[in-house]
Amino acid sequence: MTHTQGETPLVSERQAETQPRINVVILGAGKGGRALLESFLNLPRIHLIGVADKDEKAPGLKLARRHHIPTTQDALPLIQQPDIHLIVDVTGDPSFSQNIYRHKHPNAEVLGGAASKVLWDIIQHESLMQTRLFQAEKLAGMGTFASGIAHDINNPLYIILAMAEAIQDETDTASIHQYATSIRDAAQRIQTISQNITHYARASQSEESFPVPVQETLDEALKIAKFATKFHEITVIQNYHDHITIDSKPEELLQVFVNLMINAIHAMENQGLLTLTAENQNGVVLVSIADTGKGISAEHLPKIFDPFFTTKAPGKGTGLGLYNVRSIVRKYKGELTVDSQVGKGTIFSIVFPSVDPTHK
Amino acid sequence: MTEGTAGMFSGHNTKGRVLIVDDEPDVRKVIKMALTKAGYDVIEAEDGEKAIAAIKEGENPLLLDVIISDIRMPKVNGVEAINYFQQQWPSVPLIVLTGFPDMEMATGFIKKGIVDYLVKPVEKEKLTAAVAKAIDQREITRL
Ligand SMILES: Nc1ncnc2c1ncn2[C@@H]1O[C@H](COP(=O)(O)OP(=O)(O)OP(=O)(O)O)[C@@H](O)[C@H]1O
Ligand SMILES: [Mg+2]
Repeated sequence: MTHTQGETPLVSERQAETQPRINVVILGAGKGGRALLESFLNLPRIHLIGVADKDEKAPGLKLARRHHIPTTQDALPLIQQPDIHLIVDVTGDPSFSQNIYRHKHPNAEVLGGAASKVLWDIIQHESLMQTRLFQAEKLAGMGTFASGIAHDINNPLYIILAMAEAIQDETDTASIHQYATSIRDAAQRIQTISQNITHYARASQSEESFPVPVQETLDEALKIAKFATKFHEITVIQNYHDHITIDSKPEELLQVFVNLMINAIHAMENQGLLTLTAENQNGVVLVSIADTGKGISAEHLPKIFDPFFTTKAPGKGTGLGLYNVRSIVRKYKGELTVDSQVGKGTIFSIVFPSVDPTHK
Repeated sequence: MTEGTAGMFSGHNTKGRVLIVDDEPDVRKVIKMALTKAGYDVIEAEDGEKAIAAIKEGENPLLLDVIISDIRMPKVNGVEAINYFQQQWPSVPLIVLTGFPDMEMATGFIKKGIVDYLVKPVEKEKLTAAVAKAIDQREITRL
């Protein structure tokens, strides 16, 4: 068996699953209760029976509902259940603990008072470490980003300089012509990279966002994508529902759609079905771009949004497309998801919060 | 398509035999132009896997004087390939030629025993000097 560092946590989680479950109830769903619940949700051995808080709007209750864990405002019936192993009391109310001991099932242990405070401290510390780790990862990502740019520019730059030198020493016109073509290709690559970077860097500032019609933008993007690719045998299906807008800057929305369409067309190797959908669904705007292309392997899927990740030939793709798409979508509080099946096709979906005119 | 003057030199009486590993045809071409002009015999591979295959299937490592490799390539990347070369043919000197201007990476590689870490765009003179230096070292280990 191979054993790498990355696998270690997985292994221990699997072991935990085979250990007996612990049925847990959380009393108190304020800040502490919510943090506790969040951690418990990640622990496979812990089975949450319910969460209680007097305040119906307590943040922990909301989180619990989202994970389909029973919630209640009345703790007493909950703690009387016979199958409970542990009651964690983070109500911070000492008088309440008397009540717990009086009403709980005799088999249930109680973790409250100072013990629950220590637990709370540990969890807080853990979440602080997580934030730090996340920031470190982000910084590391910036490094990758910067050296990725350097690498992608230095290659064509080398070609340009060396080919120019070769021209100086060359008398054969055919060779000179060839070198000049290489120089032009290389310069164009640098241009693409710099466009992608500036597009991305420029992101905010400039004019205001306004409700941009999705249908028109999709159509314009399609025109651009057609220009940018060999489109010959692609059938386009347009599922547009009327008058959908997204609060954004039009050129950014266009950039998102163009990138996704070009990727889709490339994946189909110029033959297949491109389905564009725009609709209002339960108060959100859903836009999706689906292709019948070669799909994305499970190995590549986690990497496609990384800056400079590309499977395209050198000079064909910078690997910044999806990276830029995702940053723009995030900027507008949208959510970008991908679903892909190798050999069948890929669908990129974006959910944008709907523009509510009454809030304007 | 003309490929410089390599044909004239290949096989015999060159200053040495160099394997270029880079995924970009134009980069290989540019290196090849500089080296053939300086009197070296050049063979190419587009990634580490192909380079390893080339040596295994005929290219005699004893006749190979220098390997120049990028480190970011598809399939078997340069770092993996370099590790492999160092294990299998420790006497063939290695030069890294890459777009990453990264000091830490450079010192890391030099410590591992490569001859030089060159950053693209590299001047012809610097490239040929590095190859010459590598071949000198090669001669010493051969003696
Ligand atoms: N619709 C798709 N079907 C299959 N693979 C895809 C699709 N969209 C993206 N990919 C994969 O994700 C990779 C990254 O895409 P991304 O748009 O970021 O870069 P790129 O298209 O390679 O280059 P560019 O910077 O020119 O857009 C692609 O190289 C491809 O392998
Ligand atoms: Mg793309």
